[in-house]
Amino acid sequence: MPGMATDAGDQTMVPLSSEVVRDEPAVHPLRLGLRPPISGISISWSRGNLLRVASFRDHDAPDGGDGDVGGKVVEVRLGGRAIDGCGGGVDEARRRRIAYGSVPAFALLQGQRSSFAAVTRMSPYPSLRAEWWENVLDYSKHISSLLGDPKPLPNTVIDDPKTILNKVEEPTYLKAAWELLEIFYVDKQSLAWLPERLVDWLADYDCLLARESATTVHSNLVTLQKKLVSLQVVEDDPEYWEGVSQALAIGWLEIVVKLLRLHGSYQLDQLGDRETENGLVETVAVLVSTMPRMRPDLPPGKLGQCYKTKPDFVKAWEKWRDQINKLDCSAFWFQCGHRQTREGLKSLLHIMLGKVNNLISATGHWMELCISHFLYVRPFTMGLDGTYNLAQKCMQTKPISQAHMLTSLLIGILGENTEVVLAECSKAFGPWMVVHAMELLTAENTQAEALLHEERYNLGGISIVELNRLVYAQVLSSEALTWQIAPVYLASCPKQGFGLLDILLYMQPVQHQRVLLKSLEICRLYELESTSSTIMKIAGMYHWKHGRKGSGIFWLQQARDEIRLSRIAQQLFDFIGKSISDDSFKQWEGMIELLGSEVGTAGGLEFLHKYRDYKKFLQHIRDGIAVDVARQAVESLIQLMRSPSTPPRFWLPLLHDSLKLLDWRDRPLLNVPETNLLLSKLQELSMAKLRPDFYQIETSSQDLSSIRLALARNLGRAILEEGSLNVPNINPHGIHVREM
Amino acid sequence: MRNETKVSDLKKAYFILNRIKQAHESGIAKLVWATPEYGDAVACICSDGSVSLWEELPDDSQSLIWKLCHLFEGAATARAVNLQFGLSSTALKMVVAYSDGHVKVYELLDPLELKKWQLQAEFQNVIDSVSRFGNPTCLSASIAWNPHRGDEQQFILGFNSDLPQFNSAKIWEFEEDHQRWVPVAELALPEDKGERVHAVAWAPNIGRPYEIIAVATCKGIAIWHVEQQADQDGRLSTKKVVLLSGHDGEIWQVEWDMSGMTLASTGADGMVRLWQCNLNGIWQEQAALDCCHAQD
Repeated sequence: MPGMATDAGDQTMVPLSSEVVRDEPAVHPLRLGLRPPISGISISWSRGNLLRVASFRDHDAPDGGDGDVGGKVVEVRLGGRAIDGCGGGVDEARRRRIAYGSVPAFALLQGQRSSFAAVTRMSPYPSLRAEWWENVLDYSKHISSLLGDPKPLPNTVIDDPKTILNKVEEPTYLKAAWELLEIFYVDKQSLAWLPERLVDWLADYDCLLARESATTVHSNLVTLQKKLVSLQVVEDDPEYWEGVSQALAIGWLEIVVKLLRLHGSYQLDQLGDRETENGLVETVAVLVSTMPRMRPDLPPGKLGQCYKTKPDFVKAWEKWRDQINKLDCSAFWFQCGHRQTREGLKSLLHIMLGKVNNLISATGHWMELCISHFLYVRPFTMGLDGTYNLAQKCMQTKPISQAHMLTSLLIGILGENTEVVLAECSKAFGPWMVVHAMELLTAENTQAEALLHEERYNLGGISIVELNRLVYAQVLSSEALTWQIAPVYLASCPKQGFGLLDILLYMQPVQHQRVLLKSLEICRLYELESTSSTIMKIAGMYHWKHGRKGSGIFWLQQARDEIRLSRIAQQLFDFIGKSISDDSFKQWEGMIELLGSEVGTAGGLEFLHKYRDYKKFLQHIRDGIAVDVARQAVESLIQLMRSPSTPPRFWLPLLHDSLKLLDWRDRPLLNVPETNLLLSKLQELSMAKLRPDFYQIETSSQDLSSIRLALARNLGRAILEEGSLNVPNINPHGIHVREM
Repeated sequence: MRNETKVSDLKKAYFILNRIKQAHESGIAKLVWATPEYGDAVACICSDGSVSLWEELPDDSQSLIWKLCHLFEGAATARAVNLQFGLSSTALKMVVAYSDGHVKVYELLDPLELKKWQLQAEFQNVIDSVSRFGNPTCLSASIAWNPHRGDEQQFILGFNSDLPQFNSAKIWEFEEDHQRWVPVAELALPEDKGERVHAVAWAPNIGRPYEIIAVATCKGIAIWHVEQQADQDGRLSTKKVVLLSGHDGEIWQVEWDMSGMTLASTGADGMVRLWQCNLNGIWQEQAALDCCHAQD
């Protein structure tokens, strides 16, 4: 016998690669904890990407002793997480926050897209890009803010002159990648000063490059920072000068100036002896801080002089370079006695003059080298082609052992290869990134847009955009905490989204009221009437079958499931037909109330309502003798007997219940035609016995004869009464009708 | 599809098994969940080939127990080898395949009660209904309904038997006009028609213009595209897209995920293999899970 199945909590994650071509599929060992031999494996898919694998041990295999189970089930999540690559220390809660947080921005953008389409009466991806990219930029900024800000950690109020690097929370790869995409694909304004945007980007994310390169400027400065505390004479230490050069090479000007001001020649007691030296240091510091930069503005605390237009910038740049050249050739250097200072400062000047060897030695990672080229060799925008070639050259100069996610992504972007960019996003950051980044990729780029929105037969007639949204939605549906946001993404899939949404909703467990209500709310939102009706039907059947008949009827009514409701009504008839006793009255009274009279095709319901009223009258009569109530009961009875909706099999029980009315003590309650009607029904019943479809009701012959008797007696009395009305001479009270 | 989600409550499944085992003297060969529109119910094929239907219902004290609600009379000569419930919107249907190559389609008469069934049709899994075939000996049968919940009623059926005509997987469709089941497609190339079928799976269709069906034989897993609209002769045109080989030995089971984009398969080699179609329409094995991995 198979042992107790293990809890579904055993989860294993198996990444599914999205790479286009691969030779051998990866084999993942599944730790089932079963001793071989295994006699069978069974698989079953659950919601989303969850696959349950059950395995069974061979019956005949020797028992391994206690604790040996006969079978085991594990749940495998395929394709990994929705969001990856957040960097260390990012927990599930944070991932979920990102997933939930990006929903409004995504939904808003889709809404804007359709209104754009409506306004322009063009394709959904309009040429009114001038305005469109601004929407995408807002969206991008919103998503970017979710991915974390490099917020400064709480620090001491007093500015420590020896602190060169501000402490910030370690940024995430995800945000670094997102910003790269934003720089290249969306922010139109930044294209003019792309190099400066990349300088800023590197300033924020240089620390992340340490994974690819043994040394980065950031890591060197961190080491220097530690050392500075104990250093007495900084300018004697070659690492100090290295640090300054490196910071300068990648444009961290404020760090350069701060470090230069730590130079010993600034100390008051030294000023007299090292006046020229100090002058040189300060001149370089001033040159550094006045470096012309082609950008609209600089954040507070950052150094350099901004120029918005190229001519202004070129003029300033040439003037600045002249000043550096002049200083380089000046005679003051001979008067500077401190060798390290002289060499260090000279090296700074050479960096600023864009001497390639100096740049190479002052940088670690190829991206740093690339940035230093932007800053000092080719400070003018050179286009993606030029940038791509430059990047290739820098990579040759500073090769990396294994390309990490940011390198691969940047190369893909510069190579203008949308497929590579998407593949990198998917590989490194998961389906969340792909879905959200595609909005950026297509914001400006008509080629990418055509590629990603083209409907492909191979994919079942959908585009790559839609496919990725479906994939992401499926990953979201794997988890109980995120399935609820999947509909937003599915709703943005014009071809297959609602098909998947229907299946997703169908798979939600109806036993949990909250989940049920949530599913129905989603159905209402997206007008999925048939799905909602199916769900309510399932809920109705679940409750009905589990003994909660009231809830069952409620949900079946909501589902307008007339077939089942009329079956329920039918069951009620059968039930009533079998035991019409008063005890059972209470049991089904509520049910009739619930069924209401709206279920048109459950025709018999009209009868049930009338029957209920009739029963009520009868009860009142039992409580006390009230002639008018009795008369009402009679009217109700006659109505019931006349109504075509009253099934014939109820005639006899109805008449039996009415014995008291038929044999009313004071006076006959039924007039002649009424009595005749009842008698004819009785007659019809005895005729019907001969028909094959006759529904046999167990009634004793004694009951039958007492009904006949009561009816006959009533008829007699009624004839007399009516006769007495016509012939006033006869005293109606003096006549006694004998039994017939 | 829905059936699987229900097993999420593994403990419940365990109790069902126990309850059914107590009632039957022979072992359980197969358990299949009914569609949830008809309550929490499973059909059980026992080792002796009988079919019973079990349902979760409250007893007198309102606690839930699993009750036997129907027992299908088996033929003396044939035992049931497989069954599947259909998702038809009108009435619950159940296809049962027997070891003598016969197929029976039952229909539930009362949506509230799983007791009242009517035999709607009985036929053999052969295209040529005129010729008389002997009775084959079937080791197993593979059945999959079209997972679309609608009015159309279609299922695919293949046998693992000693008579080649019975083996190939055929799509059967209910013809409303004549109230009969007719084969509308055969998913086997002419040279493969006698191949024994080990497993079939009909992919959920969330909006593709064609259906995708996986058929596993000893040659591997064939992926078929089937048109949705029949031609003038009432046949569905089919196209074998790829034959996926990778399993070493017999394939036991193939299953599609909820979107019909990933196919999982398992077999005698103790592996679970996952297959997907890439952007260029090429089917590839994406990953494999080794279930016989030596324990640490």
